[in-house]
Amino acid sequence: MGDLVRHAWLVARKDLHLEFRSRTAITSALVFTALVLVVFEHGRDPTAVSTIDLAPSILWVTFSFAGMLTLNRAFNAELENQALDGLLLAPISRTSLFLGKLVANLAFVAVVQVTGLLLFTLFFNVPVWTVWAPLVTVMILATTGFIAVGTLFSAMVVRTRFAELMLPVLLLPFLLPPLIAAVEVTAKLFAGRPLSEVAGWYRLLAAYDVAFVSLATLLFPATVTE
Amino acid sequence: MTPDAIPQTGGYMVAAYIVAAVILLGYTVVLWRRGSAKLKS
Amino acid sequence: MTLVQRGRWITAIALLLLGGIYVRAIVYTPEERLQGLAQKIYYVHVPSAWSAMLAMGMVGLASILFLLLKDPRYDRFASASAEVGTAFSLVMLTTGPLWARPIWGTWWTWDARLTLTLMMFFMFIGYQVLRGAVADPGLRARYAAVVGICGLVLLPFIHLSVYLFRTLHPMPIVLKPSAPSAPPAMVITLLSSFAVFTLLYVGFVVQRYAIGERTHDA
Repeated sequence: MGDLVRHAWLVARKDLHLEFRSRTAITSALVFTALVLVVFEHGRDPTAVSTIDLAPSILWVTFSFAGMLTLNRAFNAELENQALDGLLLAPISRTSLFLGKLVANLAFVAVVQVTGLLLFTLFFNVPVWTVWAPLVTVMILATTGFIAVGTLFSAMVVRTRFAELMLPVLLLPFLLPPLIAAVEVTAKLFAGRPLSEVAGWYRLLAAYDVAFVSLATLLFPATVTE
Repeated sequence: MTPDAIPQTGGYMVAAYIVAAVILLGYTVVLWRRGSAKLKS
Repeated sequence: MTLVQRGRWITAIALLLLGGIYVRAIVYTPEERLQGLAQKIYYVHVPSAWSAMLAMGMVGLASILFLLLKDPRYDRFASASAEVGTAFSLVMLTTGPLWARPIWGTWWTWDARLTLTLMMFFMFIGYQVLRGAVADPGLRARYAAVVGICGLVLLPFIHLSVYLFRTLHPMPIVLKPSAPSAPPAMVITLLSSFAVFTLLYVGFVVQRYAIGERTHDA
């Protein structure tokens, strides 16, 4: 168990190091986030649609696109340098490898999402600070679910012919439950509704995370076994 | 209020039944032809 | 009799019976008062949805068995079931809106059932696109199995999330659809249709499996 965690952390740290040295993925994701927010801000008619109505959708479109970008970059970088083969030869378990990648991906997406959220509060006049704790919770829960599946799938698609196209196509159905839940919860939070109204969604998200993080961890070895 | 007339939605029924038949028969034909194709060497 | 021929026989019989269902549904089953003739789309739409779900379930099951037992026949079966499932999904996705339009006043709505059917269709397509994009058969089989299993586990979550969403956002209903289970004649038609569509699934899958076996290119 100790080895598992240690090795996973080593893998995650390696990825994070690489990324923060080159900063390409994070930069492009952040730029994209800002871009989306600006487009939405200028695209809407403030007299016709109130910000509060659009806010949850805008936020989660931004977050999910950022997630997709992150996933694509993560394994691409590996494949470019044949690093994946090297990693597989290392004396670490497949499970550690997967968990390490998952942690690294989550860390990237977290940075982008937090920055995105800050930009969002700047552009849009929405009361985020009163509900920051449940909001951050739902961000973590929803993102973990689809990033887990995404990390698993990106390990596969990176070896296929149309990798960039393949990942969104495969991932789309898996985005649906966490995104629906996330948007619903966010909308209720911004509207100042009591937490009891969204408890069911939180449970759904938690169940989804448990199911898919376990499943992805279990299935990952099948994608890299020679 | 309007009297208890049954809505005239027959057109949709016909369309649906035809579309379903076309898809299923179409797939049948596809399978039939692939089943008859020469074995790849 | 070769497997292909067996499959063809089953399919032929199923199609014949399907013709019988058509006749029974259109001519011998009573018209529903509130929806009119469009309600009869049920007898085709619902069983095709069942066949699509059956196909997906079989893909998932075969995928699990393949990863556990490593027998390529399971992978071949999964591939066959996915293709057949796509066909039934297509029937589901076309007949659904044709029923929704007169009853709900709109071709599409993001309610639990329709969203699930659309996602299932995407899953079938994605599964097959993935298979098409991997050249090595061993790798293809493993990748497909992973996606197949994930897809199966996903289904209840999609259903739950959309159902939860819809119970909180009730849809306007133009005509209120009544449960078609009241008169026995309707029930018999529906149940018979289920049986026929199941048989059709079997016929298609056997043929498709046999084709995959022959070409070694599942």
